[in-house]
Formats: sequence, C-alpha cells, structure tokens
Amino acid sequence: MQTVEPMTGKDHSSADDQSLVKAAQRGDMGAFEELVVRHRDKIYARAFSMMRNEEEAVDLYQEAWVKAWQRLKQFHGESSFGTWLTRIVINLCLDALRKQKRQRAESIEAMDQESGGVERHMPVITTNPTAGLERGELRKRIDEALNKLSHEHRTALILHEFEEMEYKEIAKTMGCSIGTVMSRLFYARRKMAVLLGDLKQQDLI
Amino acid sequence: MDNEAQLKLQAYLDGELPEAEAREVANWLARDRDAAALHNELKNTRQALVGHETGIQLPESREFFWSKLEREIQRAEPREAVANAVPWAARIRRFLMPVAGLAVLVVASMLTFNNSSTHVSEMETSDSGAFTYHDDAAGATLVWLSHPLESDPADEDDLDIE
Amino acid sequence: MTSRPFAAAALVWLSVALALSEASVRAGGADFNLQAQLLWAGNGVNPPEGKNFKPVEPAVAKKLKDLPLKWTTYLEVSRTNFVVALSSARTVDVSAKCQLEVSAKSDSNLEVVLHSKSKEVFKRNQPLPEGEILVLGGNNASNDSAWLVILRRIPRAK
Repeated sequence: MQTVEPMTGKDHSSADDQSLVKAAQRGDMGAFEELVVRHRDKIYARAFSMMRNEEEAVDLYQEAWVKAWQRLKQFHGESSFGTWLTRIVINLCLDALRKQKRQRAESIEAMDQESGGVERHMPVITTNPTAGLERGELRKRIDEALNKLSHEHRTALILHEFEEMEYKEIAKTMGCSIGTVMSRLFYARRKMAVLLGDLKQQDLI
Repeated sequence: MDNEAQLKLQAYLDGELPEAEAREVANWLARDRDAAALHNELKNTRQALVGHETGIQLPESREFFWSKLEREIQRAEPREAVANAVPWAARIRRFLMPVAGLAVLVVASMLTFNNSSTHVSEMETSDSGAFTYHDDAAGATLVWLSHPLESDPADEDDLDIE
Repeated sequence: MTSRPFAAAALVWLSVALALSEASVRAGGADFNLQAQLLWAGNGVNPPEGKNFKPVEPAVAKKLKDLPLKWTTYLEVSRTNFVVALSSARTVDVSAKCQLEVSAKSDSNLEVVLHSKSKEVFKRNQPLPEGEILVLGGNNASNDSAWLVILRRIPRAK
C-alpha cells in the first residue's frame, strides 16, 4: 500500500501529486502552490483552447483554481488531480460559453453550423493538408481554424482530441445526445481539414 | 455515402464501434475508395491536432499568478466561514428559502398572467435548433436558424423574382 | 298605388346591402396585410456585385439595431406585399429558391414556414401584432455575411 509521506515546507517540489493534495487538504498553501506550478500550463491551455480569448481564459483558469481549493476536501483521488482540475475548468468554460451564447452576437453567427449538412457534401481532402508544414505554421493554422469553429464544435473537438473523452462522456459534459456529439465532431473535423488545407468553404460548395 | 455511413466511419476511427460493426466497416473500407478517402481525411485531421496544446503557456509569471490566486482564495474564504459559522442563521435560512421560493413563484405567475411586462425574453428552441430572441420594447422577434439554407438567398441566381 | 310594398322592398335591400358591407368590412379587417423583405447583412465585407440592393428603410434598420446581431450593414434585396385571409394560407417567393408560407390561424397568430429548395427549414406559430417584425436569419456559406427575412404587417392599401 502506498503511504503518503507527511509534508514539510521544503518537500514540495519532489512530492507526488497525491502527497501534495493531502497536504493542501490540511491547509498547506505551499503544497497547493506546487500543484498550481505543476499543472498551470496544461490547465491554462485547455481554458484557452475552449475560450479562444486570453483574458477570458486567464479569468476562468483562476476561477478553476479557486474552486479547486474550495472543493479540495471533496477530492478523494477517483481520478488524477490534473484530470479533476481539468474537468472543473472545462465546466467553467462551458458555463461561460453558454452565457455568452445568450448574450453575444458572435454566437448567433455560428449557429448555422449546428446541424449543418454542409459538411456532408464537402469534397474529401485527399492530400494531407499538414504535410510539409513546419510546426509553427501548423500551430498557427490550427489556431486560426479553431477560432473559426462555433464553440459547440470546438468543444466537441477539444474534448475528444485533447481530453480523449469518449462520445458518451462528451455528451454528458456538453449536455447533449451522443448523436449530436458525433455530428459536431464530424463537422468540426471536416471544417478543420478544409481550413488547414487553406481552402475556402465557398469554393467547395 | 449518407450521413449515417459517414458518422459510422468516424466512430470506427474513434474506436467507438462494437467489434462486429468495426469489422464490417473495415471490410467496407477495403473495397470502397470514397470511404477510404474520407477515413484518411479524418485521420489526417486527427493527427494534425496531436500535441497542439503543448506550447500554450499561461501568459503570467508564476509569482504574479500565484499572488493573485492567493489573494482570491483568501478573499473567498471569510465569506464561506461566515456562511458556516452561525448554525441558527442556517436554520432560519432553510426555513425561509421555501417561503421565498413560493413568493417568487407567486410574483412570477402574476407577472406572466398580466403579460406584456416581460421586456426581453429569449428562448432556445432546441427541437428545431433555432435560437429565438424577443424584445418587447423593440417590437421584434429574431429567429436564427441553425439549418443553413441550401443556397444563399441573396445568391446571384436567386434574386430575380420580380 | 300604395308605397308600402316599395318601402318594404327598399328596407329589405338596404338591410341586405348593409349586411354584405358589414361582412366585407369584417373580412377585410381579419385579413393580414403583410410584407416580406429579404435582406443581405454584412460586416465590413462588400455585398455581391451587380445587384440592385437598396438601403434598408430606417424603421426596419432601427429595429434590427435593437436585436443582438453583429452585422453593421443591411441591404434590401427584395420585398413582397401580400394578403393572407383568416383561415387561409399564402406562399410567396422570397428568392428563386426560398419561399415563405404564411397561414392566418387566428386573428392574432400566424403560422410561418420557410422553405428552401422545396424543403421546410423552419416552422412556427408566431403572433405578429401591428408594429412588430419577425426576423428569420442565418449565416451565408461564407460566414462573413447573412441573410434575413423580415415579416411584418403593413397598412391596408387604399
């Protein structure tokens, strides 16, 4: 049985997550700070991928950490700490996106993608659109392409490709049916293929 | 290839199909060039995204972010402490909540019955995928369709209706 | 010769005439005099060239401004005036491939159906009081512009 070593103020950097969590649950802010340092970029990357806006991503990212601190006693190691925290930030981002959808005009313009039909008829991109692209250019193209997806499509793509969730889990997280998840994922992938290949949608329809 | 087949292909790529169905799709891919091409495209897109989030970094230094976070945690904590500190207050709150809830319902139903007091309301019609927004004061109802028209109504060919 | 039968006949004809005119007034009052406009909406992009687009009339522009739409430019592509009698339906062409079908279900409610390429893409029962507009919209394929169909009641033509 793995034992959790008691934490001292100096042990944080060499401690595993489990030990840090236990110490933080006892009120050790130093241990919590170490957790923040360890997971900061990965959790932020998730917030940014979903929100596509640095300021909003930072705010939600901070809110996720505050919530993690407040709920730490409820974390019993069912998953890794990183996974648990990622779920918190994903849910915060989804709430924010839903709120924005009710308030902002940008969401309306993206709604036509929702059930679409366009992606069913796009000609297949037969060449690998990313072949020959150097990493920086590919990253830039992917960022631009992700920006062009509606938040529903982008979220489905992110949860599947980056979070490696199954359809069922994505459906539960997004509050929709598995069929909707599949459609959104399909649309997102097809649109990404076109955008990464630097082709315009209207040229194909 | 119909949409159902396309989504099945995707599910096969994602390992979401039961074994028997996955074998069927594999056989289908072996004999259908169009299906194989689509499968390839989906696979390429997937591979392009691998590792994309690596390299995205928090745009604030560790110290700056931590000091902000620490302040926020400390600010949030006294509120929680007060909420939990006074059991009798909690009991009174528990008693009052349903009463308050009932009062809200009564007022809401009065407002609904009296109608026209809603200034702005919005509904999302999930069954048709349309988004509806209504503004009493503006005298306008907006319905944004999630089904794009097959053609752009303002397309050149479509304009001659006079 | 007595005038009594003549007066009675005149009275009867007058009553009939009054009844008929009242019925026609009632029927005319229950009719919906409607206008459907097709608009192009854009945001810093040029509208399709070579088309006779007109600026949107100020009353409509003002209502669109109050809606949560991001478009900064609206241009009128076409407009059609039509009448729908109570308990009847009317279909008008919004464009060559899109039709708007309106049924007057009651004296305050319309059933509005939008067809695109003979396929029904939207259907709803919608109250449309005088002075209000119904805006149906969606993005164009390019996502940098949109189409809008405005439906509103207009005064009866004299």
